[in-house]
Amino acid sequence: MSDPKIEGFELKPGFKGMAKDTGSDQTMFKGVHWGKAMMWIFLLSDTFIFSCFLISYMKGRGSTLIDWPNPSEVFGLHVGGVDVPLLLIAIMTFVLITSSGTMALAVKYGYEKNRKMCGWLILATAIGGLTFVGMQAFEWSKLISEGVRPWENPFGAPQFGSFFFMITGFHGTHVTFGVIFLFIYAYKTFKGHYDEGKRGWFTTMKGDYVEIEILGLYWHFVDLVWVFIFAFFYLW
Amino acid sequence: MHPGIIFFLVILGSVLFHIFTPWYWTDIASNWGGMDDTITLTFWVGGGVFIAVCLFMIYCVFKFSYKKDRKAEYQPEDKKLEKILTWATTLGVAALLAPGLFIWNQYVSVPKNALHVDVMAWQWGWQYRLPGEDGKLGTTQVININDNNPFGINLDDPNGKDDVLIQSDVINLETNRPVKILLRSVDVLHNWYVPQFRAKMDAVPGIVTYYWFEPNKVGEYEVLCAEYCGVGHYAMRGGVEVQSKEDYNKWLSEQETFKDLIAKQEIMELENKKIVKNNNFLLNKEIYKEE
Amino acid sequence: MSDDYENKTGYQAQSSETISSGGSGRSGTASDIDYVRPAENAEQDLYHGHSFITKWVFCQDAKVIGVQYFLLATFTGVIGLILSWLMRLQLGFPGAAGFMTAEHYYQFVTMHGMIMVVYFLTALFLGGFGNYLIPLMVGARDMVFPYLNMVSFWMFFIAVGVLLASFFVPGGPTGAGWTLYPPQTILEGTPGSGWGILLMCISLILFVAGFTMGGLNYLITILQARTRGMTLMRMPLTVWGIFTATVLAMLAFPALLVGALMMTLDKVLATSFFMPTILKAGEVLEYGGGSPILFQHLFWFFGHPEVYIVALPAFGIVSDLISVHSRKNIFGYRMMVWAIVVIGALSFFVWAHHMYVSGMNPWFGFFFATTTLIIAIPTAMKVYNWILTLWRGNIRLNVVMLWCLGFIVTFVNGGITGIFLGNVTVDVPLSDTYFVVAHFHMVMGIAPLMVIMGAVYHWFPLVSGRFLNETLGKWHFWITFLGAYSIYFPMHYLGFIGVPRRYFEMYDSPYVTSAVGMNEFISMAAFIVGAAQFILIYNIIKTLKTGKPAGHNPWQANSLEWLTPSVPPEHGNWGEKLPVVHRWPYDFSVPGAKEDFITQTTPPSEVIETEVEKT
Repeated sequence: MSDPKIEGFELKPGFKGMAKDTGSDQTMFKGVHWGKAMMWIFLLSDTFIFSCFLISYMKGRGSTLIDWPNPSEVFGLHVGGVDVPLLLIAIMTFVLITSSGTMALAVKYGYEKNRKMCGWLILATAIGGLTFVGMQAFEWSKLISEGVRPWENPFGAPQFGSFFFMITGFHGTHVTFGVIFLFIYAYKTFKGHYDEGKRGWFTTMKGDYVEIEILGLYWHFVDLVWVFIFAFFYLW
Repeated sequence: MHPGIIFFLVILGSVLFHIFTPWYWTDIASNWGGMDDTITLTFWVGGGVFIAVCLFMIYCVFKFSYKKDRKAEYQPEDKKLEKILTWATTLGVAALLAPGLFIWNQYVSVPKNALHVDVMAWQWGWQYRLPGEDGKLGTTQVININDNNPFGINLDDPNGKDDVLIQSDVINLETNRPVKILLRSVDVLHNWYVPQFRAKMDAVPGIVTYYWFEPNKVGEYEVLCAEYCGVGHYAMRGGVEVQSKEDYNKWLSEQETFKDLIAKQEIMELENKKIVKNNNFLLNKEIYKEE
Repeated sequence: MSDDYENKTGYQAQSSETISSGGSGRSGTASDIDYVRPAENAEQDLYHGHSFITKWVFCQDAKVIGVQYFLLATFTGVIGLILSWLMRLQLGFPGAAGFMTAEHYYQFVTMHGMIMVVYFLTALFLGGFGNYLIPLMVGARDMVFPYLNMVSFWMFFIAVGVLLASFFVPGGPTGAGWTLYPPQTILEGTPGSGWGILLMCISLILFVAGFTMGGLNYLITILQARTRGMTLMRMPLTVWGIFTATVLAMLAFPALLVGALMMTLDKVLATSFFMPTILKAGEVLEYGGGSPILFQHLFWFFGHPEVYIVALPAFGIVSDLISVHSRKNIFGYRMMVWAIVVIGALSFFVWAHHMYVSGMNPWFGFFFATTTLIIAIPTAMKVYNWILTLWRGNIRLNVVMLWCLGFIVTFVNGGITGIFLGNVTVDVPLSDTYFVVAHFHMVMGIAPLMVIMGAVYHWFPLVSGRFLNETLGKWHFWITFLGAYSIYFPMHYLGFIGVPRRYFEMYDSPYVTSAVGMNEFISMAAFIVGAAQFILIYNIIKTLKTGKPAGHNPWQANSLEWLTPSVPPEHGNWGEKLPVVHRWPYDFSVPGAKEDFITQTTPPSEVIETEVEKT
């Protein structure tokens, strides 16, 4: 996307120009949709939530009485008689990252007003997310069947279970909400609500393809957070 | 009455209250006179600023109160004045901070010859442990605590055997000898605080925290819990008795060590066993009889 | 439903003549120097309620939501006030209230603290004043997401409901102190460690969720929905204060949310985030390996910015009130803006000054003492600028100004005791004593309250169209100010003696006996000050119908909220056309001007002969 054209306004060069543009009247972020700006700030706030979780995790991991379990053992899968470490999680991560790709394409087709392509790609993203949640449910039930609980853990420190279930659960909730909204948006896209500017059910705001980009921001954020969770839980 | 007069009386009242107050800090009984000095310094600087700002405000209220024919001055900013004020404030703040950090440095650097005192807190009480002849405290663990081992000393730690156990909420200390208070708690947060010593630190379950002071006045002092710890918080008191060297040593020699405690318990257990044995003997006899 | 939208018929885009007039011929005509860039944002379509429910209950008008926030926060605040009476009754006259046990006392302490800080002050400043004033002051029709704004209020409503419900559950509300330090928070031995703490955590989580919705609205409205000509440096300081406070809230509340969630899990699922090995009644509990200090870090990472979430809007509002009522521009506007922003930024680097004696590594003390005292510098600059605004002003000594003066006295007093507590060495003997209680009540209880009261007297003519009674207002002010000062000023000296806070009773201690008289005096003053607040409620009820009509711009102010076509402003605020801003809101007593104020919408061509500053 090119820079938005604002009547009677030109971006000025240099640091002073930047300060002047930032402080100019009406809007700070020129041509940025209100909803999009809102999502960015919401994500900043959400970043702080996940940072607090992960910092607490680091602190908790550093101060336990019993040793932390070895992640490649705990998260290993037993496939065809061979122990494969991190197999499931590799697939999960791959699926989630791929769904980010389809989401980005959906935004592109949305702005091109290609209703069909956009709708199918949102649906693909939603299914990717659903697969992720499903695999996470599988992993949870595997760990639970092995005796890992939020309050105890046969492999080592009980905090492992506490932090794992809490943080992946919180992230999984994010993904689940994302999936629900993706399905709703897919429905709305196919119905052509964004072409007509039909008002939403609750917010009574007019439909616009920018909403798909806003949801896309959220979805990419959820993916990015997963990368961090992945690194902290599975690779550390 | 003009509001300015009332505001002036409030400021005047504050100053008079400070001068004539019967309530001021308790006489210091430790080496932390520096803390009092820093407070006094902060009081003079801060109090001066408070009075100056308020008097200026009151002056403005008198001098510039509303008159229909007067127009206020139009002066959006005065860069020079603002700069002067900023630097003056910075200087003042630095002057207050420097002695604070200097004394904090002393607070966190414990003297090498300090007597280590283990203060154990629970809901809602205190007990103390002093190192024995080896000068070292044995290590402890919460899960070791039971009736036979009230301090939870690790039994395989040789340093712990000669530790002096004081199962009372009053401890005696020697004057002019630095004390390193090692705080631990078995349940929730507590804080071992003697107002006359000025120093304090929370006892946190799971870790050992510390601070130090040097009592320098003979006397009895009350220990207060200064970190909210549940309904019994206000009643969680203890005591310190600061004594001269001779009195202290006399007191110390009367205290029980962990070794003594174990020995006492072994005797008791032995006696218990004897009783059991005798019972068995009698029992056996009876069995024989029946046969 | 779409019939309810006014934009079909009503507000069309800005009239084309204004837009085109500036583009052509620049020859020094009146229209040329008045040129303001055309509108960037499309007209906002607003949902206008028709029934009672959509107009007054589930309303999407930010002004109504603001009043709703104000009323509910005040209601909770009155509960907090009554709790403080009960506490003072016990402290001043132990045993006078027969039902008062230690359990009750600690529950009242906790609920009083939590209610006043979060559910009263935060909700009142940001939810109340923020909602009412932001759209009006920046020249927007409404908040940018009116529906989300409505949900925000109702989340707050539920949060308050859950909080108050904890008074009626088995075991009562939590008595863990408003800081909720584990492990005692969820262990027996602390009142309300069952249901009470659970409801408290849930209520906080709901509050944070609701506040996030509101906060996003405030931020985007200020950033992206200002009217033509309203640059950032032309915004009233009220908006700057609320804006910065909201940014702080968006970044600080996550820590509280995470802390509350982990505490809930510790309670419900027996996880051990904050719980080390604990021996209770001779038995080792199932917990182990957690860190109690971690919670304190999370809590104060929220808790310290929270202080500024309350203080910054107060700073902003009081700046505007002082400027309007001393008929003089705020001195050093740019310095004031930067001070607000710098204080906000620094407030994220000082949290552990609440934890000097918490058992964290004591070496942190050096860092946090330094950052804390650095904050004193911008704060002091603000104080200087307030009093320099009075200097050579033309000060109207009305009730609003009295509250502002009261604010300056109490805030400077509390700010200076803050330097005591921020300086790590001085903090050691004073922490956890009544000195701390006196300090934070003075600086973030009484001082912001003075601003709230001043703001109520100032903006009541806008909200209702009528003045509050001045005589009653003066009684209200003097009783509150003198009473509150005589509560908290002597209380510092209790701290010097070493009286610890959160003591249910302690008259058996030898050195506290001398404080009995003072405690009685403080309690008496507290009863009177609390009762005096009902003067305001009486005043509001009385003048709502019969007060002197205010009309347009009764204080001769400059900022946009006074320039609406109708008083009180209607939904959509501005009638047909959005206002166009030409100057900052502080052009008072400009040399050469006919009157002593030039409103923000006055075009330069009308005040050509004056020496007005270019902003």
